[in-house]
Amino acid sequence: MTELQHYLILAAALLVLGLSIIISKRNAIAILIGVEFILNAANLNIIAFSSHGIGGLDGQTAAIFIIVIAAAEAAVALAIFLNFYNIIATIDVDRGDKLRG
Amino acid sequence: MIKLLFFYMFALSSVIAGIAIIFSTNIVRMAYWLIGMLLSLAGLYFLQGSYFLGVIQIIIYAGGVAVLMVFGVMLTSQQIAAQLRPKRWEVLWLLVTAIMLLAGIVSAILDARWSQERVQASNNVSDFGIHLLGKFLGPFELASILLIIALLGAAYLARPKVPTLKSENNPK
Repeated sequence: MTELQHYLILAAALLVLGLSIIISKRNAIAILIGVEFILNAANLNIIAFSSHGIGGLDGQTAAIFIIVIAAAEAAVALAIFLNFYNIIATIDVDRGDKLRG
Repeated sequence: MIKLLFFYMFALSSVIAGIAIIFSTNIVRMAYWLIGMLLSLAGLYFLQGSYFLGVIQIIIYAGGVAVLMVFGVMLTSQQIAAQLRPKRWEVLWLLVTAIMLLAGIVSAILDARWSQERVQASNNVSDFGIHLLGKFLGPFELASILLIIALLGAAYLARPKVPTLKSENNPK
């Protein structure tokens, strides 16, 4: 198993862990933490390819853009969760099952 | 050999952080395990020679996004939520799904042949900057527009509102 495959298998494990966190948690911020796991797994995958010679510098540049998008998405998601908390007074996503608050 | 040792150290640390988040019930502990995972991944980026990406990961991800999540936890976890224990068949179903997905991806990784010619990526920050503003100029400008839109959107969504009682909301 080459060194590249070591990194790819680690990225796959982080993706599966992030998916398990999203599935098994009720707190909305815990779900956001799972999403961050998946984004970091994709980042690790891209940088592993870039550092082992496939794709050149495109990998690191794509990783920068993934970090930028993840930061913007986390900020907007937290603003939405704050609104949710102000209306329903809990952050439990099981309570968010009505279309009209 | 040393490189493999460091790889296993950082890899084990990030996977342990992920498993600890699944079994934890305290949201603040989950946020700190996330910071642990981000720092382990930054260590892996340093190990592969992407020094700029490692520093960016620590500054922006661990020092920005994770701190933002801790702020969110601070503002939204005022009362103790009821802890529901998951049923046994739910845990089993999640385990089976996760193992099947992991087995599928790992078998695809082990069977693939990357048959492209190897282009050695330079680890120089100035080469990275030239590449970012040369070939990736379009996505760079779009990313800046995205950040402005996200800033405006988050500031508008989180503005202070007049508190309304739930009994005053008459559904039409």
